[in-house]
Amino acid sequence: MNIVDLGLVYDVRPAAGHIEVDITMTTPSCPMGDMIVEEARSVVSAAVPSGTEVQVNLVWDPPWDAAMMSEHARKHFGWE
Amino acid sequence: MSSDLPRPGRVPLLILGMLALGAGILAGLIRIGVSAPPPGAASVLDHGPLMIGAFFSTVISLERAVALGARWAYLAPLCAGLGGLALIGGLPGQVAAALASAGSLLLLLGSIQVYRRQRALHTLTLALGAAALCGGNVLWLAGAGISAAVPSWISFLVLTIAGERLELSRFLPPSMVARQVFAVIVTVILVGTLPIPGGPGAARLLFPVGLLALALWLLRQDIARRTVRERALTRFIAVCLLTGYGWLAVGALCLLAAGGVLPGTIGYDAGLHAVLLGFLFAMVFGHAPIIFPAILGVRLPYHPLLYLPLVVLHFSVALRVIATLAGLPTLRSAGGLLNAVALALFVAGTLASVIRGAREPRGSTGR
Repeated sequence: MNIVDLGLVYDVRPAAGHIEVDITMTTPSCPMGDMIVEEARSVVSAAVPSGTEVQVNLVWDPPWDAAMMSEHARKHFGWE
Repeated sequence: MSSDLPRPGRVPLLILGMLALGAGILAGLIRIGVSAPPPGAASVLDHGPLMIGAFFSTVISLERAVALGARWAYLAPLCAGLGGLALIGGLPGQVAAALASAGSLLLLLGSIQVYRRQRALHTLTLALGAAALCGGNVLWLAGAGISAAVPSWISFLVLTIAGERLELSRFLPPSMVARQVFAVIVTVILVGTLPIPGGPGAARLLFPVGLLALALWLLRQDIARRTVRERALTRFIAVCLLTGYGWLAVGALCLLAAGGVLPGTIGYDAGLHAVLLGFLFAMVFGHAPIIFPAILGVRLPYHPLLYLPLVVLHFSVALRVIATLAGLPTLRSAGGLLNAVALALFVAGTLASVIRGAREPRGSTGR
């Protein structure tokens, strides 16, 4: 299961020479935020033209909710 | 995130925790009749304070500090870890208790901060767990005796895990009834933790009843029931969790049979070690491959050998619990020694995984 399907990617703002991504964690008690931000930065950097400035922000507003998961994720976790 | 402590700065905190773990294991071995090197200048009676007041407090506070990403939050594991070092260094127990109390207060402040970011039952449960640790440490500091602090310390550990598992259960279809039952269980555990001098004997059963209900709740509601059907690391973590919940139930039953958390009873030793070894270390084994990378930035690739410490842990806890209940001290010591072997295998396996992770190319985690 990827973080897009889990509803953790809130916003992607591409601009000339710059791309900004807002992601969240399911809970602020999760210690993996730092690591996932780094991994997201590395994946986005590989997907955009070289030289593009990539900024990944960890945000808490709005707090994550299970309703933010994709149809695919919900089916995976047994939702009707 | 700029105010966060860089990863290399977290290593000394983890080392402090590991020192407390090592000394705590040695103290426990000597107490159970195994000839082992002395745990520094610490007394064998410091086994509980080293394991919970120092080791678990340090690593859980460290995990919370990493989540908060704020430098001040790292003072919590620092205080808890220094408390362990104070015991190993032979300083008066009051110094360790004061450091542990300060650390737990900081953990509580951090947990309240987490709750303010997301006001939910799971973050509230984590904060209540931290409050229970504060309560236990203050009892220790006030000289009420280690056994008086034990229920609060168990509540801290159990509620911390329960809060985290409740959080992950949100991936599953929501059940209002399950959440309400969870809230009742947490309340029962907390009320059961409160010392009631001269209270009715039945009140002492509240605590183990709460633990048993929590074990059943976790076995029924945890997402591990679903993820155990997956593969590799995901499956390993689920196996750790589900088997650990079994020990929580067994421990609660032992404490129930003993009439509560009553030091000196057979059920006390068996129940405490079913919960604090069988349940708790199964949780540690399962969480380590996720938490270590998050805290230190190292990779811990999955390998089927991860099951080895888990199997030894379960066998050794079973041996120890049965031998204790049957009144067989030699077998009980053998069980205790094997408990230590399981933990040593876990530490060695984790180090081997870190080395392997550093050698393997990225993207081959085996998840």
